Amino acid sequence: MSEVTQILTALEQGENRAAEALLPLVYDELRRLAAWHLANERPGQTLQATALVHEAYLRLVGKSDPQWQGQRHFFGAAAEAMRRILIENARRKSRLKRGGHLERVELEEATIPSPMPDDDLLALDEALNALEKVDARAAELVKLCFFVGLTQEQAAKHLGISISTVERTWAFARAWLFREIRKERQPPV
Amino acid sequence: MNAVERIKEIFSRSLEKKPGPERDNFLAEACSGDSKLRDQVESLLLAYDGAGEFLGKTMLLAPSDFTIERSGTMIGRYKLLQRIGEGGFGVVYMAEQIEPVQRKVALKVIKAGMDTREVVARFEAERQALALMDHPNIARVFDAGATEAGRPYFVMELVNGIPITDYCDREQLSTTQRLQLFMKVCHAVQHAHQKGIIHRDLKPSNVLVTLHDGEPVPKVIDFGVAKALGQKLTEKTLFTPFQNMIGTPAYMSPEQAELSGLDIDTRSDIYSLGVLLYELLTGVTPFDAQMLRQAALDEIRRMIREADPAKPSTRLETLGIRLKDVAKLRHTEPNALRKLVQGDLDWIVMKALEKDRRRRYETPDALASDVARHMCNEPVFASSPSVSYLVGKYARRHKAVLVVSAVLLLLLLAGTGVSTWQAVRATRAERAQSLLRQQAEEARANERQLRLQAEAREKIAQAEAFVRNASPEEADKVMRTISPLLDEMNASNAAAIYFSLGDWAGRQAQWKAAATNYLKSIAGQPANFDAYDKLAPVLVQGGDVRAFEQLRRQMLSRFADSPDPVVAERVINSCLILPWSGPELERVVKIADVGLQVSSNHWAWNYIQFAKALAAYRRGSFVNAAELLQTLLQDQGKDIALDMKAYMVLAMAHHQQGYAGYARDALTTGLRLAARLPSSDNDLKDCKAWSDWVIAQTLLREASAQLNPAISNGADPEHDSNH
Repeated sequence: MSEVTQILTALEQGENRAAEALLPLVYDELRRLAAWHLANERPGQTLQATALVHEAYLRLVGKSDPQWQGQRHFFGAAAEAMRRILIENARRKSRLKRGGHLERVELEEATIPSPMPDDDLLALDEALNALEKVDARAAELVKLCFFVGLTQEQAAKHLGISISTVERTWAFARAWLFREIRKERQPPV
Repeated sequence: MNAVERIKEIFSRSLEKKPGPERDNFLAEACSGDSKLRDQVESLLLAYDGAGEFLGKTMLLAPSDFTIERSGTMIGRYKLLQRIGEGGFGVVYMAEQIEPVQRKVALKVIKAGMDTREVVARFEAERQALALMDHPNIARVFDAGATEAGRPYFVMELVNGIPITDYCDREQLSTTQRLQLFMKVCHAVQHAHQKGIIHRDLKPSNVLVTLHDGEPVPKVIDFGVAKALGQKLTEKTLFTPFQNMIGTPAYMSPEQAELSGLDIDTRSDIYSLGVLLYELLTGVTPFDAQMLRQAALDEIRRMIREADPAKPSTRLETLGIRLKDVAKLRHTEPNALRKLVQGDLDWIVMKALEKDRRRRYETPDALASDVARHMCNEPVFASSPSVSYLVGKYARRHKAVLVVSAVLLLLLLAGTGVSTWQAVRATRAERAQSLLRQQAEEARANERQLRLQAEAREKIAQAEAFVRNASPEEADKVMRTISPLLDEMNASNAAAIYFSLGDWAGRQAQWKAAATNYLKSIAGQPANFDAYDKLAPVLVQGGDVRAFEQLRRQMLSRFADSPDPVVAERVINSCLILPWSGPELERVVKIADVGLQVSSNHWAWNYIQFAKALAAYRRGSFVNAAELLQTLLQDQGKDIALDMKAYMVLAMAHHQQGYAGYARDALTTGLRLAARLPSSDNDLKDCKAWSDWVIAQTLLREASAQLNPAISNGADPEHDSNH
């Protein structure tokens, strides 16, 4: 049984502390996979986070099938991990732009602008932190759907709620985050 | 309902209403005077309307976060000094290694691959085998890894040289000198094949010549790299602007150009060697590189697969004015060059370039031998010996002798008539011919065996890497292609492969398969102790106690008298996995008493100590056994499996003496060690380790049963053979 499966089983059985152990494992795996894929894609291609997370799942959990709750924990951790990876990247790049003294320089090969500008991503991250305090489930939904790429149906299954609840929560989350980010950008007069 | 829930509720319901009066009315009603609440909801609604595509699509990861390695950067523990060059599949740097030894190395960072996981797995497979290569004409590969961004890299011996073709031209080496260099290259490739590595991309830029003490030394570089990348011939790779493309079409064997997924084997390298020889002799490749570059992809493939290249000597004729230059670079004149190349060399080259790989040379050494034979004027295997050819060769080798014989023959001729002379000549030629044929066939058979072995080894390494990277289906696929190879090998050659297969199965807890393979190995090489030693625990773990009994009796009779204490230790270790009795046990005990005398400095002292203890325990000397084990455990930590075994036997020894408390303690301590059992094959680097773990588990079961008889009949998790 892989280490991750063990943790998932423990979580299943109510050992919540096991979650601490799960995140670093998933994080490492995703980071590694992301780096490989990114380094080897031809210019012009992008990588779906969903594919990455599923690949990580296969690698870490594989064929041994924890109950669906176990999957839920995994994807929850994966969502958080993906978010961190992306935010870290964005931070690093924005530091570079501000003239940070770093050895590593961007590759001269075709640089594709990230689908979301780094600054926006950083803003989103902060907003997400705030949202977590207000409505944790909404924040988790955003992570699952945006960072991992689950469909609303999949997210509903993972969170154990109805699709209509997902839809409503999603609408709320979007509006809330958008408002939050705009507030940051345009401080109230 | 708390504040947030309320806001959410109203927000959602508002969305259901049409914007405008309908919504406004609803809001007014729902918020019932709470202006703050209304503000909240309205700002949310405003945001929602203005959000547009925000969060609309899933986050995509884009390749905008690469790093480029510049001088001064560190990759692994290597510091990049200078960019040396750029190849088809990566950039080469000169780098400095600090630890464990300070030296300059060549570091090659690989660019795009197709399936990265596969690439890394293949690198792993190659790295192991590459580490085994040790040949003066092969650039050593020291290390391999992946950069932070995940790009694989190789660290190799820094070779300060130029391509062999350039070197030969620069120094205007004669054909003979070129052939001498070429033979060295063949031997190098042979060495690699025997280690199970196929180069797959032999070409002049991968055969560099450097000078040692003024002597030219060819060094083959980049072994295994092309394979690790699994590069296929695509439009893109052909027409990159780089000079050194991967699998340069001019050097590519027909089966590589085929893309059919046909297994590339060692004979592909032989084809490439043939092309190299062609170029060394004539200055051009069999298919003109220029022509190939301009042709379309399909045309290239067709040419390589179907078109027959001109023989070297014929090609020389078509060179026209260039022939003069080509000859000059070979320190000779056009006519002389043509004569040199005509005949033997033609045949040798063409045999290496056969489209049907079964008709090529079996091994690079065979190719080199034929070249050597040519240089000594001995008949080469490549040719079809005609009588005049053989006699001609004979004549050139034995000029003096022939003169005398000629006189004799003349006398004979004068005396007995023409027919007799012809008869004598014919019989001699015939005998020479059949001898030659016989020799050729034997040589072929040998070479074939070696080649099969090399191929099988390579596949096993590949499968292991797939297993380590959690792709068991891939591993299985590869392993299934081994059986036809084994069928063709003779038993003693196959024995080594079966042994490896046994290890492979054992590491995946497939006991029956492991047993079958070890048995086959023993059948091919009955004197090979290792196979017995590995088979014993596998049989026990797989539950075949009868076979185990048979085996240990065999082991005892074959190997009991070995003077080597390490062998003795392993005999005991294996035979006494399960209890024994009677005269056989006595014999084992005797081995322990007599054959295990070593000083405490002996590297295997711990293992030997355990063997003594195990023997003592089995024969009932519990006090003695406990003492020995306690001494052993004072020095524990070097081998967890061994320590665990020791605790198990100690627990039993205590138990037998009635010290239930101590027994339980020992068992518990041992169990804790069991928790450190490697859970994946990644950790089982040392072959010996896994079979010791298996023995440890067997002893654990025995000890548990003794101490807790109630549990002994329960389901046994250790027997689960699927990890």
